[in-house]
Amino acid sequence: MLHRLSGIALVLYLILHLIVISQLYGGPERWDTFLKLTQSPFFPVFDVLLFGGVIFHGLNGLRLTLLSLGYVLRWQKKLFWLNLAVTLGLTIGYILVLLGN
Amino acid sequence: MRFLFNSGRLIWVFQVLSGILLIVFVGLHWFFQHSIAGKGGPAYANVVTYLRRPVFFGLETTFLLVVIIHALLGVRAILLDLGLSIRALRWVNWGLLIVGTAALWYGLRLTLALAHVKG
Repeated sequence: MLHRLSGIALVLYLILHLIVISQLYGGPERWDTFLKLTQSPFFPVFDVLLFGGVIFHGLNGLRLTLLSLGYVLRWQKKLFWLNLAVTLGLTIGYILVLLGN
Repeated sequence: MRFLFNSGRLIWVFQVLSGILLIVFVGLHWFFQHSIAGKGGPAYANVVTYLRRPVFFGLETTFLLVVIIHALLGVRAILLDLGLSIRALRWVNWGLLIVGTAALWYGLRLTLALAHVKG
């Protein structure tokens, strides 16, 4: 379920990303206006959610692939929790990097 | 077309392979985009210079192709899980193909336009 949800969220992000980068069509002035928007406090929160979503979806995709091939069946729940822990750890690390900048 | 979409196993292989490729592409995209970005995000001139280099142009357009394939196959899998009929699935297949082609065309047009900006 979480894999599907994170996948849908990432598809919505992909659409948004394509719309956002279309601002580049408008030349440097329009792009700079958009970049000013990214300075809002809301933007890093979105960035962190995206980072966490990508890490979770990628790792869980690897877990599901291994399960589909008949591997790691006994550890599937443990691997799910490990995935959550790694996602959380890396996301906290990313937040610290962002705060450091 | 019918062969491609009727072969569930082949679609699964596409989904897995594109997913594995995406792990690499997302990592490279993230690294390079952050390396050209200043404190306030990537400047317009930096984006243009980046896309002018054939290796990065190739990287970004291939990334776009792979992410579109993976995303649309994922949407299709979710719709199948929801119990889509075979008749509806045919329409969904064509719809996703059209959406994917349009997204790829749009992305390629933008990337090509930026790679050819003068200055």
